[in-house]
Amino acid sequence: MATPANLLRLCLRPNRRLSTVYSIPFPRPATSRPLSTTQWRGKIIVPTEEEKAFTGEPGPDIRNPGEFLAGLLEEEDITNEEREEAQRMLADWEKLDPKVKREYDTLREQVDEGTRGLRALQRVKRSTFWHEDEVDNDMLTDEVGEDDFEEDDIMAMGHAKLEEHREFREYARLAVWEMPLLSRLAKPFQPPTEQEILRFRYTTYLGEVHPSDRKVVVEFCPSDVPGLTPAQQLKLKKLAGARFNPEKEIVKMSCERFEHQAQNKRYLGDLVDKLIAAAKDPTDMFEDIPLDTRHHKFKPKIRFPKDWHVTEERKKQLGTIREQALLLDESKRKEGALVDGVRTIQEALNVRVDGPVLSLKGRPTPSLRASR
Amino acid sequence: MPVPNSLRCLVRPSTGLPVSIPRTAASLGVPSAGLLGTPLLAAASFSTTSSRSEGASGIAKNHHRGGKKTFTVKKKAFVLERGKSPLPGERKAYRKRIILSNDNALAVPWLTDLGPAELSNENNVARVMGIPEEVQDQLRASEAFKTTQCWRMFRKPAVLVRKETVDLTRRMDRAAQNNEMLRLVVTGDKVAGKSLMLLQAMTHAFLNDWVVIHIPEAQELTTACTEYAPIPNTDPLQYMQPVYALKLIQAIKKANEKVLSKTFTRNAHPHLPQNIPANTPLLTLANVAKESEAAWPVFQSLWAELTAQGVARPPILLSIDGLAHMMKISDYRTPAFDLIHSHDLALVRLFANAFGGGLKLPAGGAVIGATSRSNAPRCPSLELAVSRREVEQRIEASSKAAGSGSGAETTATATEEVPQRDPYFRGYDDRVEAVLRSVEVLRVGAIDKNEARAVMEYWAASGMFRSVVDTKTVTEKWTLGGNGVLGEMERASLLSMRM
Repeated sequence: MATPANLLRLCLRPNRRLSTVYSIPFPRPATSRPLSTTQWRGKIIVPTEEEKAFTGEPGPDIRNPGEFLAGLLEEEDITNEEREEAQRMLADWEKLDPKVKREYDTLREQVDEGTRGLRALQRVKRSTFWHEDEVDNDMLTDEVGEDDFEEDDIMAMGHAKLEEHREFREYARLAVWEMPLLSRLAKPFQPPTEQEILRFRYTTYLGEVHPSDRKVVVEFCPSDVPGLTPAQQLKLKKLAGARFNPEKEIVKMSCERFEHQAQNKRYLGDLVDKLIAAAKDPTDMFEDIPLDTRHHKFKPKIRFPKDWHVTEERKKQLGTIREQALLLDESKRKEGALVDGVRTIQEALNVRVDGPVLSLKGRPTPSLRASR
Repeated sequence: MPVPNSLRCLVRPSTGLPVSIPRTAASLGVPSAGLLGTPLLAAASFSTTSSRSEGASGIAKNHHRGGKKTFTVKKKAFVLERGKSPLPGERKAYRKRIILSNDNALAVPWLTDLGPAELSNENNVARVMGIPEEVQDQLRASEAFKTTQCWRMFRKPAVLVRKETVDLTRRMDRAAQNNEMLRLVVTGDKVAGKSLMLLQAMTHAFLNDWVVIHIPEAQELTTACTEYAPIPNTDPLQYMQPVYALKLIQAIKKANEKVLSKTFTRNAHPHLPQNIPANTPLLTLANVAKESEAAWPVFQSLWAELTAQGVARPPILLSIDGLAHMMKISDYRTPAFDLIHSHDLALVRLFANAFGGGLKLPAGGAVIGATSRSNAPRCPSLELAVSRREVEQRIEASSKAAGSGSGAETTATATEEVPQRDPYFRGYDDRVEAVLRSVEVLRVGAIDKNEARAVMEYWAASGMFRSVVDTKTVTEKWTLGGNGVLGEMERASLLSMRM
């Protein structure tokens, strides 16, 4: 089927190349290290297979459709149909006038020459002041032809704003319509039974990969472990060491040694089993070693004293105390037994001024005179 | 124009180097120095090059134009006239002096002096009573008064009789009656009156003709500030402190003169510098110690005589302030440069022995130690022992109350746990705990409002507190003073500058 369209397609195929206008972003380290004297280095980009295959310039051996078709026929991974087609087309090419072939060659060379400038690798200038050619991913628009107004549409910024709004609305729809459906998945809380003494805690980063998403923490109370005597419980606490919280009476252990959460959990479960087995082992009950709580700082819990609450009784009590105190004061005042510091001093002064009057040089002594 | 410059005008410019005529030459009137333009230095004839000889440059260097010489008047150093500075030791004497009376204070008319039985009389609780003159001297001799106490504000020293005082003095009386030893530690909060409680105990002892041996600061014995020497033939090796012993003997002699003169030796003491036969007053024996060399043997003899069994002897009060200093490892060193435990110092050992119950007195007596909250090294064993004994006392009291019938409070205190050693703490001292294992603990707490009223009335009557002493004022000061901490009340009302 040597349709002209097919022929043209095949003819243009050797000229196919990747666009060579790369925008190479200004490489910058993701997190800038402070005070580093070493030169930063960009990430080494390993070219993919496709990039390796199309190096831009066609091979020197393929200069016209005839050579390309011959090369195609030599390849093994083409179907029979393609092979037949290629053979037919090669035959057609062979039938062509040599003059036409030569014209084709010259045309190709001219096209090559003309597009050389376009194919040249364009590098972003690093030394520009604002890094103007750098791509900014945080912008609403791509800033290409942003300010061109064609009088037929709103401008790029407007479109971008609308797009942003659409995104907001999408999430709002999610929140309104789909989030309530999550409650269907909720399970009623069932308190752990006496057999379930271990409490595990897992960590998820909602699908993200994180180094601590494998971590599992287990907590249990030694006195909840069934079948342990008080001595064995004490030994269990001693074995737990710094993982025992003497205030809450809880042993807390964690594991992130293994790659998967399940492995870590299994390890912790086994460890608890081992601890209980060791606590039950009567060969050495560690009676000579006191429980060590140096790792824990006891915080005194300050509570409002019960006696300080002003109840009705207390009010009555206080009332009587005050009344009695006032009565005592009053009776003392009547007797003249109430001691007044100021009056005592005044009286003592009055007694003393009977003798020679002391006066400051050049000044009257009003207080003494008044008291006389 | 000065001469050298005018002469320079005559010099031909072609000679190159500026040549100047030394001022000396000009002033000496060198005859017409080169009037014809011949410079003073010998230039080579027929040479157009400028002369660069050493001499030329030398002249140029020596020439200097006298600039304006500045004449600055130096400021005289400002001398502050301070008057006569105090002599060596004068400042310390000023700081350490004990003033027991204030002539400007008013005499309190109702103040009565203490009698022998007043301090143990329950009716005297919440009363301020004066210390008799004689006892004042005795207390002063044994250094019972301290500079931090407010004696200097009042006409004469007086003390408030508190519930704790009556409790303490009754215990002392009981011990003396039964020929037993009261072993007691006085503890309490800061400025709660622990030292004053000790002073009241001493007052009671002096009034009742006890012999009082008082160590005003235990730190003087253990902080390596007085001389020490090993006592030969002791195992474990003990150390005497002769200088302090001399001081102590003199204090004992001065304070207990009356009692010691009425007490006589049982044995002869021929080994002392002065031969003391039997039946000599103990005062004479104490007088033998004139120098520190003989102080320790004299003290030993005195102590042996005071504790001699089978003869009439007065009860003895041993009192010590700053107990924590006595319950630590001292700052003294052995000849091998190891630290000496305080209880290996003979004087301290005497007290430790008494606290531990190893001392039997012929007429009974008491050993009372007061802790300090301000000058006290950390002593975990002491703290533990005190808290433990307090709880044990409470439990004992509650069990007694339960035995007598009232079981309401029993449940509250029976649940209390006796504090135990922290098994992982290293700083405990076994010797200290052994000594304090069975002492009694008296906690000096806050005063109640009656006592507060009594003491404030005394202040007001002395003219030191300018206010009406009614319930409102008393409650105000009582609250300001940390709910009745006596020292804090003093600070709030007496020692404030507000008049």
